[in-house]
Amino acid sequence: MKVRAAIAGLLAAAALVVPANGSAYRTWFEFTRQSNSWSPLTMAWDYGGGHYDTQTWRAGSGVSTDACWINHGWLPAGWYDLWGHWDYYDATIKGRVFYLQNKPCWNGTWRTQLFIHSEETASQGQYCPTGGDDPYCWEGASDYYSNGCIKVARAGYPSDLRLVHDGWHARSGDYRHGSFGVGNFVYVR
Amino acid sequence: MKRVFGARTTAAALAVASGLAAALALFGVFAAHGAVPKTGPLTVHAGLEKPPGAVVRGNTLVDDKGIRRELSATVSGAMMGPLSPVAVRSGNGKLVAYNTWQALKTVDAEQSFSAQGIADGAGLGVPSLRVHDDQGKDFLVARGAYSAAWRHDGAIAFVQGADPVFRAGRTYTGQVVVRQAIHGRDVVWTTDTAHYVVYSWAGDRLLFYRFGLGEKTELLVADGPGKIRPLTEGTAVAVSPDSTRVAVLSEDATNVRVLDLASGRELAWLDVTTATPPLQWIAYSGSWVGDNIVAPASSGLAVFHVGSSSLTLEQVLSLDRAQFPVGVQEPRFVDDAGEVVAASADVPPAKDGEGGVSFLLQCDRITRSCERSAPAPAKEWLRAVDDSATEEGGQ
Repeated sequence: MKVRAAIAGLLAAAALVVPANGSAYRTWFEFTRQSNSWSPLTMAWDYGGGHYDTQTWRAGSGVSTDACWINHGWLPAGWYDLWGHWDYYDATIKGRVFYLQNKPCWNGTWRTQLFIHSEETASQGQYCPTGGDDPYCWEGASDYYSNGCIKVARAGYPSDLRLVHDGWHARSGDYRHGSFGVGNFVYVR
Repeated sequence: MKRVFGARTTAAALAVASGLAAALALFGVFAAHGAVPKTGPLTVHAGLEKPPGAVVRGNTLVDDKGIRRELSATVSGAMMGPLSPVAVRSGNGKLVAYNTWQALKTVDAEQSFSAQGIADGAGLGVPSLRVHDDQGKDFLVARGAYSAAWRHDGAIAFVQGADPVFRAGRTYTGQVVVRQAIHGRDVVWTTDTAHYVVYSWAGDRLLFYRFGLGEKTELLVADGPGKIRPLTEGTAVAVSPDSTRVAVLSEDATNVRVLDLASGRELAWLDVTTATPPLQWIAYSGSWVGDNIVAPASSGLAVFHVGSSSLTLEQVLSLDRAQFPVGVQEPRFVDDAGEVVAASADVPPAKDGEGGVSFLLQCDRITRSCERSAPAPAKEWLRAVDDSATEEGGQ
């Protein structure tokens, strides 16, 4: 199973940072690129003795399947470190966000400034002023498309974004926010 | 009489037949060129021996006449992909500016930085801009620089990095500068340090991108040093031949607008998802000749017709996804009639590892047939040299 291979890769990573916490598991994500608007994002956690569990959500990335196409294609394959996590991020991307490392694609083009995020306001709300596609409003399936980031839904209760966010904290025991590093945070295949 | 009549009849018949044959031959030509372009699939055959114009690949420049010249460094679009041409020819045709990438560390894309011992701030590479002239001289324009555009008078614009080294964990920021002559001094045109990519000149105006989080792009126009105006969120499809308009693409890649560059006013608009035939998306970095714009599209190529206040989808040319799974990039009209399009087409490796290849395509949009070049490794950046600065309008 792909998750087992991911576990092996994860254990081999020297720089994995898991804070001291009795309930913390080795936790990571896998994003399996199938289509730009429908690809599974799986959270996996290893609770010892070779046992692990998973939870999966629908996610999307890019509008094209060319990982070298800046601002257009889905993100390149491989392991990504986490460079930071914020709950109330307030830039062009807002709310709960996970900041991923840069990655070169197969022709050497650097993909940069990529996140796992959704469409919500800095205060984790929804801002839907128009009948069109508002950037901080989850209108539906077309919002899974992105410039390259991994996007999950900010719809329903609890939303997938909340489950991803809360699941990360609860399983990993890592409640840090701001700029910090976590090795091998997500594997893109 | 009968015989004479017969001979005359035969001669007349021959004359008519000859005329008809000539007319049919002419009709065949006009049927192919001058006919209404129709939407449909493109057929692609190998055999493009000599692409139109100059091309670069690795450390080789092949000029318009097919003469190979060795570059002092290998070409690379590592810092901007297809947002800006890898190599651009100056307005007088004598200089070719090209982008390069000097790796400071070998990065295994399959592995994370932490697994490779790459620490925050570690130097990964240096982009540089070089020029190769028609006498074979090759020299450095600037270290820590990328994305060049020539103005009609020989000035060159590019991004100059604040720190020449591209580092892990850092955003590569810099300023957009303009150098009046290739050995002259740089004048900073931007007012803030940011992550920029230079796109093109439109006459004396400079178009460039400011990058944000999530690879969001904002298209800016500079009327001069420090005179910066935001034009739109999104990307540029093409600049009009008279340099007064630009076709832009929305962030979600579905809406094309034509803007007046002087005022930023919208002149025309089209949602390609509701056009006939509908398209899922189109992409940036196309070409504009006469009243036609060509752009990469979800199915292959899209050709638009631009009116004074209208924009319509004229033709969609679809590519076989088995042959070209991610379509084409940077399509360019290579004739004044806007009937022949050249583009690059990358084919990714099976699992994003090693082995992707690039082709050059030349397509006749009337006969809907293309010739493709031999494949080259994708990391050698086989690309046409951008000649738009040599054209009227001096983009």
